[in-house]
Amino acid sequence: MKIDKGDIEKQERRKLLKTGLAVSTTVGASLAGVKSATASTPDPLITEIQDWNRYLGDGVDARPYGMPSKHEAEAVRRDVAWLTADPKASVNFTPLHKLEGIITPNGLCFERHHGGIAEIAPSEHRLMINGLVDTPLVFTMEDIARFPRENRLYFLECAANTGMEWRGAQLNGCQFTHGMVHNVMYTGVKLKHILDEAGVKASGKWLLPEGADASHMTRSIPIEKGLDDCLVVTHMNGEALRPEQGYPLRLVVPGWEGNMWVKWLRRIEVGDKPWHHREETSKYTDLLEDGTARRFTWEMDVKSVITNPSPQAPINHGRGHTVLTGIAWSGHGRIKRVDVTVDGGRNWTTARMDPHSFSKSLHRFYYDFDWDGSELFLQSRAIDEFGNVQPTKKQLREVRGVNSIYHNNSIQTWHVKQDGVTENVEIS
Amino acid sequence: MSKYLKYGMLAISLLIGFSNNAMADDEGKALFGQCRGCHAVGADAKHQFGPVLNGVMDQAFMIAGDYDYSAAFNKAGESGLSWTDETMSDFLAAPMSYIPGTKMAFPGVQNEEDRNKIIAYLRLFDTDGKRQDTASDETAALTPVVTEERKLASDFAVPEHGVFKLGRVALTEEINAWDIDVRPDGTGLPPGSGDAITGGELYDAQCASCHGDFGEGTGRWPILAGGHDTLTDDRPEKTIGSYWPYLSTVYDYVRRAMPFGNARSLSDDDVYAITAYLLYLNDEVDEDFELSSENFSDIVLPNEANFIADNRNNEGFRSISIDELCMTNCADDAAVVTQRANVLDVTPDE
Ligand code: HEC
Ligand code: HEC
Repeated sequence: MKIDKGDIEKQERRKLLKTGLAVSTTVGASLAGVKSATASTPDPLITEIQDWNRYLGDGVDARPYGMPSKHEAEAVRRDVAWLTADPKASVNFTPLHKLEGIITPNGLCFERHHGGIAEIAPSEHRLMINGLVDTPLVFTMEDIARFPRENRLYFLECAANTGMEWRGAQLNGCQFTHGMVHNVMYTGVKLKHILDEAGVKASGKWLLPEGADASHMTRSIPIEKGLDDCLVVTHMNGEALRPEQGYPLRLVVPGWEGNMWVKWLRRIEVGDKPWHHREETSKYTDLLEDGTARRFTWEMDVKSVITNPSPQAPINHGRGHTVLTGIAWSGHGRIKRVDVTVDGGRNWTTARMDPHSFSKSLHRFYYDFDWDGSELFLQSRAIDEFGNVQPTKKQLREVRGVNSIYHNNSIQTWHVKQDGVTENVEIS
Repeated sequence: MSKYLKYGMLAISLLIGFSNNAMADDEGKALFGQCRGCHAVGADAKHQFGPVLNGVMDQAFMIAGDYDYSAAFNKAGESGLSWTDETMSDFLAAPMSYIPGTKMAFPGVQNEEDRNKIIAYLRLFDTDGKRQDTASDETAALTPVVTEERKLASDFAVPEHGVFKLGRVALTEEINAWDIDVRPDGTGLPPGSGDAITGGELYDAQCASCHGDFGEGTGRWPILAGGHDTLTDDRPEKTIGSYWPYLSTVYDYVRRAMPFGNARSLSDDDVYAITAYLLYLNDEVDEDFELSSENFSDIVLPNEANFIADNRNNEGFRSISIDELCMTNCADDAAVVTQRANVLDVTPDE
């Protein structure tokens, strides 16, 4: 491990040295126009004593729960008001272009509610297991805390993520085109432990988790999945779940569409057939061009997006060394490789994967390159450990048409213009 | 250490002083949950289907200058009425008979005490949405120290069931209270019935304000009827009649989630009646149709056969292997923009 890391660092240094050289030669060649690499007057931020260099700041009692710097006011969830009729049955988006690494901070995880945020005191929350079980049971949160628990990092993606882009480029920013995904370290109990406690009967083939909110959210889940890797969780990224993420109890269904991860989980029924409830008939079914519709399309396919540069994060530094980065994920397992192109798919280079690689989790990739200042067409193409390759928009539209709404995992194109401004486009 | 002690004592004295207020607040807030589907209060409140209700008490009718009230409300406003405890209570008891023709399609709050609690809650907000009672917030923050006598660990009972011996057996009443789900084969349907005519009355009073008089949807609220034979159109219209595979989903969903903001308020017969009416709006039954637990399974929705299993794995592009992926010179000509998001720029403002 150590040797690997050293090697990477060495490589990085060598790359930096090379590109550093390139920058100084190009700057030398043409000083006009672009910001100069040398300063003509001393920087007052260095030569003058700043307020924060002199006066005392807040003490340890000022911020019992710390918040981001006031200079990070742009890193917030945003919604698209015209998408839905009411903010209580609606969605907002994670600012992917403001984030690094693979963990999504709790306050920035996108929200999707169907009846607003239920505010529940843990002492007033119950989890019931009923249906085809030997002993129907009721658990308090104290009971849940006594099951063996574990920590797992998983992405959650709404099946409608990128759904607005089926007909063509619509929204300018990866926050809006891809921001219905987040990646969180959960702490919780294997659903299997809880089901075993009640004893699932041999005829029990399906699960119906139900939420305690005003929408009483329900979804049918095959029991194999429930016994495989589903979790009933109480914590996200080390702290208790946020109310908007289902406090005090949520279901985690790794790799499968976010709607199934029932929040404010209060009941799981065991049955012998699926229920075909609203969120698996009217919604979360994928209409095809011939008028038929796929149902129970649970897995989230392999996908990636470049988060910087992107329309909300244009290139402001001019030509020279440029860091391109993005995220990739697959509901089937790990990401094996991400290819990046800067010329709209004419030539591809394999990106450098950040080493933190977990199954059904976001992966971070980087591609450092020397931008010569000409226009760019950026795309990324993810490949998972099972050889699933992220498709092009054309490939998806050919087999599905444009009215599926859900499961659009196609390759995204950003157009970087010569002034660094970046736009969501489709290309030939 | 000493700081926490002080808070503990402060909390107790605050609790004595403000416990009534805090309780009215909590219960009023919970009861206001029925209104929240259409109304907001507080500093960031915006008009929704109904106007913001900040500082509405002791004001003339129509507090919101920038909200589009119905003609009926305008007329009532012109007559010089204002919101006193009495008028508000009468209004909330039966809004649609108090002001016939109002857009506030809400059946009302039957219980007078509940109405008073809602009114007390409304009084907490001034016209800017600022809370009049910061005290109750403080009591919430400073939890009193509860000293309970602790039982010995050996005095706790350990259940018989299971592996870890956790939880307790669920009672039948508890299961019945929560287990209301209905399946396409009729499993879970409660006994009962309702006809489309009764359903129409309930629908006009409790659903039409959002879903339109004929299920056509108002604004961006969901469409419930119509759209037959549009699934292969450029813009399909997915409704109960044109898209939904099973009628049981209508019964189950309306019973668990509608009306929006007042879930679980309809009786089982009401839901039968409304479901019958929704079938009528979708041209599936006649006006005098009665739906019951007996004839429910006879109804087949027209689009049922068009749902297929997930067969994404058969999609052609999936057979491409990694080795076949082109890495260099993958096209002869340079990329050209065919469409930009800026053309139909719908991106929300920063
Ligand atoms: C189905 C949506 C809906 C629900 C639920 C609802 N309202 Fe309304 N309310 C409205 C609409 C719409 C108006 C405007 C009436 C009009 O223009 O006819 C209104 C008007 C009002 C007004 C008059 C405000 C003014 O400016 O004079 C009050 C007060 C009010 N509602 C209180 C409540 C309370 C309290 C509740 C809950 C117990 C409630 N409403 C539930 C939709 C609703
Ligand atoms: C205050 C507005 C409002 C009222 C009143 C209301 N609804 Fe709804 N209804 C909604 C919203 C919002 C949704 C979508 C919720 C979501 O997306 O989770 C919805 C969804 C539905 C759906 C599912 C639509 C679909 O295509 O999936 C049905 C059916 C429905 N409502 C029936 C009713 C009935 C019946 C009533 C009256 C008893 C009613 N609604 C009253 C706002 C309302």
